[in-house]
Amino acid sequence: MKIEIRHHLRVAIGPDLTRAIEHLLLTPQSGTTQTVDAWSIEMPGFAEAARFKDAYGNVAHLVCQTHPEPELSVLVAGSVETHDTHGVVGKPDGAPVPTLYKRQTALTRSPVTVHGKFRHAERSGQARIPLLHQIMERVGELYRFGLAEDDAPEAEGPSQSQTMGTMTQSQTMGTPARPEGKAEDFAHAFIGAARALDIPARFVTGYLAAEDDRPAVFHAWAEAWDDALGWIGFDAALGLCPAERHVRVAVGLDAATCPPIRTVPATGAPEVLALSVTPA
Amino acid sequence: MRMLGRTAANLFWLSRYVERAENMARLLEVGYRMSLTARREGGASEHLVSMLQAAEMDEAFNAKHEVADVATVSHFMLFDEENPSSVRSCLLAARTNARSVRTALTRDVWETINAAWLEFSQIRPRDVTGARLQDVLQWVKQVSNQFRGAMTGTVLRGDGYMFSTIGGYVERADNTARILDMKYYVLLPRATLVGGDVDIQQWTLILRAASAHRSYRHVYHDRYKAANIADYLILRPEMPRSLRFCMIHINRSLDGLSEIYGTRQDCHLAAEEVTAMLVGNTMERIFQHGLHEFLTEFIARNNRVTETLSDSYNFY
Amino acid sequence: MCSNGNAVGSAANAAQEYMSDSAPFDEMYNADGSVRDPYLELDAWLKEQPAQALKLMSADAEGLFRRLGITFAVYGSNESTERLIPFDIIPRIISAAEWRRLSKGIEQRVRALNAFLHDIYHRQEILKAGRVPEALILQNSAFCPEMMGLDPAKGIYSHIIGVDIVRVGPNDFYVLEDNVRTPSGVSYMLENREAMLHLAPDLFQRHKVAPVETYAENLRRTLESVAPENRQGAPTIAVLTPGIYNSAYFEHSFLADQMGAQLCEGPDLFVEGGKVYMRTTTGPERVDVIYRRIDDDFIDPLTFRPDSLLGVPGLFDAYRAGNVTLVNAPGTGIADDKAVYTYVPEIIEFYLGEKPLLNNVPTYNCTDEEQRNYVLANIEELVVKEVHGSGGYGMLVGPTSTKAMREEFKRRILARPDNYIVQPTLALSTCPTSVKAGIAPRHVDLRPYVLVGDKIRITPGGLTRVALKKGSLVVNSSQGGGTKDTWVLEE
Repeated sequence: MKIEIRHHLRVAIGPDLTRAIEHLLLTPQSGTTQTVDAWSIEMPGFAEAARFKDAYGNVAHLVCQTHPEPELSVLVAGSVETHDTHGVVGKPDGAPVPTLYKRQTALTRSPVTVHGKFRHAERSGQARIPLLHQIMERVGELYRFGLAEDDAPEAEGPSQSQTMGTMTQSQTMGTPARPEGKAEDFAHAFIGAARALDIPARFVTGYLAAEDDRPAVFHAWAEAWDDALGWIGFDAALGLCPAERHVRVAVGLDAATCPPIRTVPATGAPEVLALSVTPA
Repeated sequence: MRMLGRTAANLFWLSRYVERAENMARLLEVGYRMSLTARREGGASEHLVSMLQAAEMDEAFNAKHEVADVATVSHFMLFDEENPSSVRSCLLAARTNARSVRTALTRDVWETINAAWLEFSQIRPRDVTGARLQDVLQWVKQVSNQFRGAMTGTVLRGDGYMFSTIGGYVERADNTARILDMKYYVLLPRATLVGGDVDIQQWTLILRAASAHRSYRHVYHDRYKAANIADYLILRPEMPRSLRFCMIHINRSLDGLSEIYGTRQDCHLAAEEVTAMLVGNTMERIFQHGLHEFLTEFIARNNRVTETLSDSYNFY
Repeated sequence: MCSNGNAVGSAANAAQEYMSDSAPFDEMYNADGSVRDPYLELDAWLKEQPAQALKLMSADAEGLFRRLGITFAVYGSNESTERLIPFDIIPRIISAAEWRRLSKGIEQRVRALNAFLHDIYHRQEILKAGRVPEALILQNSAFCPEMMGLDPAKGIYSHIIGVDIVRVGPNDFYVLEDNVRTPSGVSYMLENREAMLHLAPDLFQRHKVAPVETYAENLRRTLESVAPENRQGAPTIAVLTPGIYNSAYFEHSFLADQMGAQLCEGPDLFVEGGKVYMRTTTGPERVDVIYRRIDDDFIDPLTFRPDSLLGVPGLFDAYRAGNVTLVNAPGTGIADDKAVYTYVPEIIEFYLGEKPLLNNVPTYNCTDEEQRNYVLANIEELVVKEVHGSGGYGMLVGPTSTKAMREEFKRRILARPDNYIVQPTLALSTCPTSVKAGIAPRHVDLRPYVLVGDKIRITPGGLTRVALKKGSLVVNSSQGGGTKDTWVLEE
């Protein structure tokens, strides 16, 4: 499927700066699941940016400005052909060893409620893929995806800012409603559970094409390792394996290791001025 | 090896702070002496206040103290940590700057500054009265002399030496100009040619603050006269604290920098502008133009030298 | 040598008296009171000294060091509490043959640890082979995922290393710790030699002592040799310091000065177009090699701690892009982690296929129930160290501990068994040391300094630290330790 992407961001870096510097992870690479036909980033200083591969194999850009404007405009545009592989990304060259992705981080340490029931499950050979699907389902049972806006009555319960880790509290308090999570919370819960079961799993950022009543978003999901097939995508928020509507951009240990933009001076998340991810 | 902009800035400010410490000690010495010889009731306080004005510290002082007497004023000018121009603040700032550029200094220069700070921090403020006060002030001046001596005698005549020299003379010119400006009204030409007691006292203050009360006689062979005093401290190239003398040395060091780096910069232009105010000028013309206006402009242009120097050589 | 402070006496008697309070291996005297070979000249020299000579020399040393010491003492943030590190005037002497053996062992260790770091940050073969437990590395806070796949110049991660070694017998050396991050103290080694040359020039004339003064030049060569491979011409080197309030600032400025490198603070450097520059009086100048004395977490707020004001934003990316070399590389701490230490013999065998030349101290793992029970039952004979502790803090030396201290550590071990490693108490060798009453044996360790670049350079000798308290085994300066000049004799 051919997908056209246009992503316009605004980063408020602040007034009267002598210098600003940004680390970008906004460049998708071609692979089994996608072919990047065209890609461009427009922002001040991008022409002189350093381009290199980061520790996770992503294409990173280091961009600098002297005496920058208080707000930076970042315009990302491109077109990508996606291929349905049932989520299988495979074993790309040059990526770090999968064992790296067994490292738990502060964000991925998920409660035992997620992986506890699989503690004694068979996880090697042919048993692994079904197990990963069960983990994905389990995450879906425990948490409610907060993207759909019409899914509302108990929305005033647990707030959106809660993370998965704290959400289990509301369960012990007997609230029947499933705590709500953002896409990255689902990914972290899935990754944490997989790692707790000694299965390498990593965090993925990327674009998700619009569908029916769901808008296009800059999204997050997970990938887990299978010795035979390599990396396989699991989108626990949607409860499916990425097919043609997911465009992979960057991977990391967790959300903190692969945000689309990191800046000094530090800012909050950039404001999205416009985003379209349109199947052509 | 090229010099870091920060190193250049540290060297510049190192000398400025040592010079400032010396100037503070000189002013306090004058104020103290004059307060001793004050004949009128309240005269002592008057002299000290006038000295604080010359140091531009009167406002800060009044915010903290009700009475200006020898004890409060000398404590404020020597030891007050909140007074950024106290001798203590200056010596500490000098040492902090020196420590940051320790490798750019000779051992002699570093030890002078370091020992001065260590010795000063041992002094207990409440012991510093009377004769002891004069000893301490004398000691501060000696530290400054020793620092200049170590600089002259041990430091390579490279860019670092030039930055440091400029710092010292920019500070000295600023100080001389400010003292003159604070007292400019007693220097103005008047109908009566003979100054009254008050004038003589003020003139003495000005000259003593510049260690010029004796050398004045060698140059002018005359009694104290307002026009001579102004001429001495503004235009005389042989007077080591005159504005002219300071500019000669600033220009020499700037020329040194342009030789080393091969280019002239904005700071060279800025210094030329200041120099143009002095070279070929006479006191008559300056008085005509207005002494206060002249000094105000000089101070502003002298500040421009620091600003442009910072920009030209990437101080930060 | 005698307790009355008289330096000269009947040699045998004196030696016997000297040895009487010293059961462990002494580097100068054999058990029968005879003098070991490397110390024969020193022994003769000591006997020739007039009665008060050593006393005077000690006083001289104090005077000299108070003067030199100004440089050591004044840099702390709190000057009134900053102390001089005491200097002992009797040198520690190592024979050429002993040094050859030691330096071979050190070189082996250093090569293996660099190979280990390369592997850990690439293919992780040693984990796949199961020779080092996977979780120990992957879940370790000293492991730096950002280093994965990065290829530092010449494949070297740790360029400047200080290996802490103790001796328990004529040929028995144990490595206590491999300091592969930012070992400090090299300036003491150099200043100690200066002081010794000044105080006892005649003693030098009677020995052929291998020079240590070459350290700065060798450091420079090492740093130049690891400049980015795409860089033409003579590389520019900078020492990156946290600034004047850091307790090791003196060493930073000393080393920069000695090797003719620029001493920079974070704000002196900036990154543009993926390259690192320093701000000079004539504009930006490209920097190729940074000997950084700032901890990993603080070197770059863009990649690591965002609140760091000490670092240089974008520095790590410039490193990643291959445009600058960081010395030592970030993430080297995984190789001197106290828990990884236990596996160093495995690491040597795995990468070099050799048997370790230097001993590792046997270490008990408290997370293992059986070993923990042994530790708890025998704690008065053992040394307990915190996994992330340093400087002799958070440490229990069983034989010299009180019952209350032992109970406290038992409680701590039970609460957090993974936070402690436990080792037998080693009988550290002793060296004759000048004390109030004369000369007496005191326990010593040794930190040789190793430079790894185009080749491995080990400065002959290193820093000998001496526990000045009688019987004490803790040599850290923060715990009342002093230092000695360390002589390696040439043949």
